[in-house]
Amino acid sequence: MAQIMHILQTQGGDILHAIGQHIGLSLISLLIAALIAIPLAIVLMHHERWAKVMLQITSVLQTIPSLALLGILIPIVGIGTVPSIIALVIYAVMPIFQNTYSGLTTIDPNLEEAATAFGLSRRMKLFRIELPLALPMIISGIRIATVMIIGTATLAALIGAGGLGTYILLGIETNNNALLIIGAVLSAALALIFGAGIDWLGKLSFKKAGIVLLTLVVLIGGFAGYRKLANPQTQITIAGKMGSEPEILINMYKDLIEHDHPNMQVSTKANFGGTSFLFKALKSGSIDIYPEFTGTVLESLIKGDKLASHNPAKTYQVAKNGLKSQYQMAYLKPMSYQNGYDLAVTKQFAKKYNLKTVSDLVAVEGKIHAGFDPDFYQLKDGYPGLRKAYGLNFASAKTMEPSIRYKAIANGKVNLVDGYTTDPEIREYHLVVLKDNKRFFPPYQGAPLMTEKLLTAHPELRTTLNKLAGKVSTTDMQQMNYKVTVKHEKAATVARDYLRSHGLLD
Amino acid sequence: MIEFKNVTKRYAKNQALDDLNLTIPTGDFFVLVGPSGSGKTTTLKMLNRLIEPTGGDIYFNDKRIIDYDIKQLRQQMGYVLQNIALFPNLNIQENIAIQAESLGWPRKERIERARALLKQVDLDPDKYATRMPSELSGGEQQRVGIIRALAIKPKVVLMDEPFSALDPISRKQLQDLVLQLHQELNMTFVFVTHDMHEALRLGQHIAVMRLGHIQQIGTGEAIMQHPANDFVRGFFENEHTPRPATIQDLVVKGYGQATTAAATLKSTAPVSELAAALQAAATVVVATDQGARQLTTADVIDYLATKEAD
Repeated sequence: MAQIMHILQTQGGDILHAIGQHIGLSLISLLIAALIAIPLAIVLMHHERWAKVMLQITSVLQTIPSLALLGILIPIVGIGTVPSIIALVIYAVMPIFQNTYSGLTTIDPNLEEAATAFGLSRRMKLFRIELPLALPMIISGIRIATVMIIGTATLAALIGAGGLGTYILLGIETNNNALLIIGAVLSAALALIFGAGIDWLGKLSFKKAGIVLLTLVVLIGGFAGYRKLANPQTQITIAGKMGSEPEILINMYKDLIEHDHPNMQVSTKANFGGTSFLFKALKSGSIDIYPEFTGTVLESLIKGDKLASHNPAKTYQVAKNGLKSQYQMAYLKPMSYQNGYDLAVTKQFAKKYNLKTVSDLVAVEGKIHAGFDPDFYQLKDGYPGLRKAYGLNFASAKTMEPSIRYKAIANGKVNLVDGYTTDPEIREYHLVVLKDNKRFFPPYQGAPLMTEKLLTAHPELRTTLNKLAGKVSTTDMQQMNYKVTVKHEKAATVARDYLRSHGLLD
Repeated sequence: MIEFKNVTKRYAKNQALDDLNLTIPTGDFFVLVGPSGSGKTTTLKMLNRLIEPTGGDIYFNDKRIIDYDIKQLRQQMGYVLQNIALFPNLNIQENIAIQAESLGWPRKERIERARALLKQVDLDPDKYATRMPSELSGGEQQRVGIIRALAIKPKVVLMDEPFSALDPISRKQLQDLVLQLHQELNMTFVFVTHDMHEALRLGQHIAVMRLGHIQQIGTGEAIMQHPANDFVRGFFENEHTPRPATIQDLVVKGYGQATTAAATLKSTAPVSELAAALQAAATVVVATDQGARQLTTADVIDYLATKEAD
């Protein structure tokens, strides 16, 4: 609870921004869905067969899992707000269409007959009789759609559209329940508030409800229009993967670029998504720069011969050449820190058995009870390879979820874990990382990735971003991650402090 | 004038109407009566083209109704439904004025018209005009249903069993009301019912229908005196049993003398009405199919005496 309060205090502005994004995304989708579904239901109300076909189509669309739908949309419309809105609209069309259609077709046939017999025009019949009579059903359809949209909109964070899902995703990723709760509770609260708001709207007269809706449309439209106009021309978008480390890095990039080139404006999109989302976004031009690891480039981005080298400089060269030849992308020089696999033990344990390197483990292998990430346990680059390389044979090795592994070692359930070199938990739980003295783990170094096109247009970016080349040690990164993840300091502040203290920014 | 010429209506399986010929004079109160399935409602709904015939022609003022613009045709015809069907989302005056609204009457005129009509059927406009239909009793609702059909002063008012769902007291009141309205307004009323008593009470002309055929058309008196076939006779007897004797019963037995004086009673009125009238005057003139007949107190006593002896 205290942690939640702390986060709310320190990141209140960001959370408000996320709520704003969430509401915007939801309302725009709802509006578009209503504008599609209601007229469609009106057109089809006298064409039963077509209406049935339409109901079938919308039901089928409904059954596509939201994640799959987002996946289908990415190659077509890219990532970000547009595919999120499309996906949400597709989901919301069905309840609104279905309710409007049944509202309009279940009107007492006597009333229909009366209206017809009085010679009312089609238009007057619709607006004076049918729509008002169907209104309660339509409103309840919109209400269902709203609650659904607000819930599903949390997934928009996966493809970089922001919103409260960012906090949920971040919470899962970093095993931070406070963030998870903030994201989940706020989106649930939004759903309740909007549900109640729509009920209230439904009780108003036709005219008043129309005025309220129109005002809302104008406000949202005006706001979007204003934001579009207010944005200057030269704009660079830097995105980062999930977690604190990429967020710190992209803020460093932003500070450096804006400092060196006052004519450029940088917008950052933290927690934008996973590797493939970001890479696709870069290819499609939705974003301009993002920090990527040399190891990841070899592992999952470039095709062909990718003999994992254990030499960081060599790995970088292979990655750089591959990106250039296969994707026409520029990969600037990496920073110093390594964010690769490591093995860690508690301080006491290290002291007791005088452990400094992985080789030192051989002497005490009978006493080692290890807790490993399932991937690490299986990958050739992980435990199996490690055993061979160092000739290790531990007393036991269990697999456990990455997030609970650190808790297990803190509680004494295991005495050795795998991890990433920059994990803040290393500091939080006072762990010692054993030196990979045989250089077994492949190197993972972070470096800015962008299209060659951008670099050709703005060659000055190379000098600016290369200021970070060889900077930021593993300890530096660990410390910064600790400040953001555990101490809940703002990533932008932590980044700026680092740049200032290292003379990269005045 | 409304004319049906060789009108048929065939559904996939059955013949709803077979070669129907019918003339309804302008200003008439015409009643279509018959058991369910007789085609009476089908006949009525063909007039405002809620149902289209599969054969034959219907003329309204010497022009085929299919040659009218359908909207204009319907805007000359008021319509009262069996289950009233007031629009639940509109208040009473909006309901009454809905046809006027579709004709583009100014709002002020519409409200004035609705209030005048409410007054005409003894519903206080100040009290009722802005209420919602659900706040009214069944009888009150059907009053509104009737004046809604009159709002734009149509040439023809179509009524489809408007009173069948009402209690006997409301029904009687509303029957009086439509008779009175028919007298006051110069409109043709076409009225559908399955209740022969209601038909006799209201109709100037009655068409008895059965299984899509007209059995007999005529005034109530003519049909009662000379039922065209067993069905009509049987239909009558059924309806008659609980019915008190009417003046027609006297006339049929030969009471009364032909006269040229103006009639004050219809022969379809019960004998009790005749007796009441005779308390005030020595003789009473009754309109019958055979012309006016003059009846006296002695006629009534004699009729009752012989009737009891029967």
